[in-house]
Amino acid sequence: MKRDLKEQLLQARDLALDHARPEAVARVHASGHLTARERIRALLDPGSEIEIGILQGKADWGWVHTTGGVDFFGTVNGRPVVASSTDYSDHGGGYGAGYLARLFSLARQHRWPVILFSDGGGSRAQSLEGTGAEFKRLQGRYPGGTGFFEGLAALAGWVPLIAVVAGRSFAGHATLAAFCDVIIATKGSAIGMGGPPMVEAAFGIKISPTELGPVEMHERIGGIDLLVEDEPAAIDAAKRVLAYHYDEPTGPAPADTSYFDEVISSDGTYDMRRLLAALVDEGSLLELRPAFARSVITAFARMDGRTVGILANQPLSEVRGAITEHAADKIARFVQQCNSHGIPILSIIDTPGCTVTDQEGEQRPGISRHHARPVRAFHHRSVPLISVQVGKASGMGACAMSGIGSAHSLPVLRLAWPTAAIGVEDQYSQGFDDVVLPEETREKILKVLRMVGPRTLPAEKARPRDSW
Amino acid sequence: MEARLVNELAEARAAAAAVASAADSAPNKLPVRERIARICDPGSFAEYGPLAQEEGADEPMPADGLVIGTARIEGIPVVVGSYDTSVADGSQSKVNQAKLDRLVFFAVEHRMPLVCFVDGGGWRKSSSETRTSRWLGGGTGRMGALDGLCELSGLAPSVAIMSGEALEGNADLAMLAECVIATRGSSFGASDHLMSVEYRATRGDVDILVETEAEAIQEARRYITYLLKDAPSGEPSATAETIDNILPDNRRRAYDMRRVITALADEGSVLELRPHWGTSLITSLVRMGGRTVGVFANQPMSPILGAIDSTAADKMARFIELCDAYGVPLLSLIDSPGFHIGPDAERDGIARHHVRTLSAIEHRDVPLFCVQLRKAYGLGPLVMRGSWGHLPPDLRLAWPTVETGGMSLEGAAYLVKRKEIQAAKTPEEAIAIRDAYANTLRERESGVRAAHNFSFDDVIMPSETRDRIIRALENAPRIQRTEKKTYLDLV
Repeated sequence: MKRDLKEQLLQARDLALDHARPEAVARVHASGHLTARERIRALLDPGSEIEIGILQGKADWGWVHTTGGVDFFGTVNGRPVVASSTDYSDHGGGYGAGYLARLFSLARQHRWPVILFSDGGGSRAQSLEGTGAEFKRLQGRYPGGTGFFEGLAALAGWVPLIAVVAGRSFAGHATLAAFCDVIIATKGSAIGMGGPPMVEAAFGIKISPTELGPVEMHERIGGIDLLVEDEPAAIDAAKRVLAYHYDEPTGPAPADTSYFDEVISSDGTYDMRRLLAALVDEGSLLELRPAFARSVITAFARMDGRTVGILANQPLSEVRGAITEHAADKIARFVQQCNSHGIPILSIIDTPGCTVTDQEGEQRPGISRHHARPVRAFHHRSVPLISVQVGKASGMGACAMSGIGSAHSLPVLRLAWPTAAIGVEDQYSQGFDDVVLPEETREKILKVLRMVGPRTLPAEKARPRDSW
Repeated sequence: MEARLVNELAEARAAAAAVASAADSAPNKLPVRERIARICDPGSFAEYGPLAQEEGADEPMPADGLVIGTARIEGIPVVVGSYDTSVADGSQSKVNQAKLDRLVFFAVEHRMPLVCFVDGGGWRKSSSETRTSRWLGGGTGRMGALDGLCELSGLAPSVAIMSGEALEGNADLAMLAECVIATRGSSFGASDHLMSVEYRATRGDVDILVETEAEAIQEARRYITYLLKDAPSGEPSATAETIDNILPDNRRRAYDMRRVITALADEGSVLELRPHWGTSLITSLVRMGGRTVGVFANQPMSPILGAIDSTAADKMARFIELCDAYGVPLLSLIDSPGFHIGPDAERDGIARHHVRTLSAIEHRDVPLFCVQLRKAYGLGPLVMRGSWGHLPPDLRLAWPTVETGGMSLEGAAYLVKRKEIQAAKTPEEAIAIRDAYANTLRERESGVRAAHNFSFDDVIMPSETRDRIIRALENAPRIQRTEKKTYLDLV
């Protein structure tokens, strides 16, 4: 090989890496963030990473260090994933162009999970002057290929999709995140459909990203799944969420089950979180969207190592475990999510029923079309469902928590505690397979989980997992 | 046949008929037999269980308060049912619940559309069983009515007609049906908390609001026929000629997109779904040359000027799924500043809701034709244009009033010329810099020039549009699904 070719290659590669632009790296660090490559390094198993597109650093309008992002595949705890991070420090970031689409194709073909660090403001503003064709190039469309948005859409409900938002994620970057099963955000970050310049251009109002779409607001409205302190915590959370998509051979029993006694002797006001902690493997409960629609808890947990998706009413919430329209949406999405990834569902029921918002904004008994969403999702699930009625199950509440429960969608096992209300209003009650003591419950569930065997993934994607 | 048996049967029938004809006196409501007669093709109704009634009832209970049977609508085999509020207030009982289960089961087994009048409801006090064991369908061991409605979703259309009050289980039935048609003044919900259909329509729970039951029946017939069957031909609208003059000359002035839809569609064929919710986006089933088309269109006259907010996104996604489930081609009419932005839009969750539209477009396989009328900024209209998803749009048309660009041209100008604008001495000067550059962009790629780089298949006059769409429809065979693709979302 000619000597200058080798030098050219090494030089080009070198220019793309972090050390070639110390000022940009210093700026990133000063703002409390990791660089795009540092994030991926922290995520992937050391030595497993393969970066693609490293040399694609030339744009029509001049030299850039990356195509707006860095694209990798590698392993996390020995399991293959694809991972990408936008590089906000480099001309405002971008999408990683054609390589993001390529990553998604690989993920689809090999059924690899995807982890995306998605901060940035959509397509690079500099590309606006070239419309049409330029946009297509940025989308990563090439003959015979698809763009990355549709690549990601095809993955929703097929492989686990995890987004990390650490910084500002607007426009197309918010779209990338919104396609994911789980959005993990760091405190102080912002997510929005249109960023401050767009809002200023449209409405003439000056507003900061964190006024416009603070993740603390998103935590309340269901716009994100997990809010964490900083980027290292976000990366840990991403690894943890990913791990729930695999079963462990065994797991530790809960250390303290004494809370059961309080539940049994309570007047129905107890903390469902503490009940769950006494039921699942010690320290294994990870709640998703905890501050949104608080009357229903959606969580991943383990039972003797096996992952279960938990739905549970929270009597401590303002509406005492009632299923509001938001709660119904929260359940529907979570059922789809578990079903996509073969995760058995455990539903712990104690609800006074479903509620609809009236004209005064008050919650009133009744159902709307939102409540039909979990009912349909349950009806079309293929993963095992186990239900435990702890207290009330009034009206359509039980159906929103575990489906209608006739031939097509019967739970594998329907348990009740002695505290379960049995009455005309509690429609579910006559369908119990057994009434068990709280301390017997875990073992009953474990028997079912052992019986249904190892997790099986659907051979085909049944339905796209809903983004909402 | 033994005369005693013949007489017994005749007497039972006469008793059922006598009470049934004692018409429900509520205003605007048709007697149950009249409803059935009107919704079915003449002579096509075959009743199941006319003599059913609960044992030990104190008074005669014709059909036990729920008339069911098979029939045809425009030749399409359907199942129909109607609760009868003249019989024990249309309450649910052990017997009529079994009839409802049978009705839904029939629809699922034979993939037949279902229409049910759902007024009445609540468990009959005299009924011998608690509703517990019946309502959930466990009793039949096969499929309960509500599970059956879930199964039917995406398999065959289901329509609930609500006229009067629908309580408890009957309200649940409506909320699980694919389409809810209600007469004004009706209400539904839990018995002590009925909410008006007018209010629920603003929340997306009602598809079609009408004045009378006769109209409700007409719309139910149209809904089912449109989704499942094309007509051989159709007449142009009486307003077709006006279409070249609907868009104002001033590009900043709004207009009513409904006028465009009416002018494009066959005369009198527009069936708008959910007009009172997500009002910045119109979703209508229409006929064009007899073929059914699902039109989704931005409404520039809406308070947010045709932007796509969270509810409009939900409405669009669900409508695309509906049309896709039944093989109905889609037509998008685009004039939108994009997905809604700003603090209010973010609080409504647009950052997550908007992806539902992208997903629906990606997973469709029905043809998509699009016409861009004026502006189309950002990702939202890109989705409506089908410039997105693995399937390219089947037709990309624009009117000469089109403005292209990835975002508002003023917005793009603001971003590109930001430094100059911020350095401007007066606000007027800043706006002048922005607008001058926006005009440069407009000159470059708008109007007829939009056709040059082949980002549209053609730029045509509004008055040429109907014919072009009809030709495209003729060249696109209607998808006939042999299997259910997926269930439909309801929100």
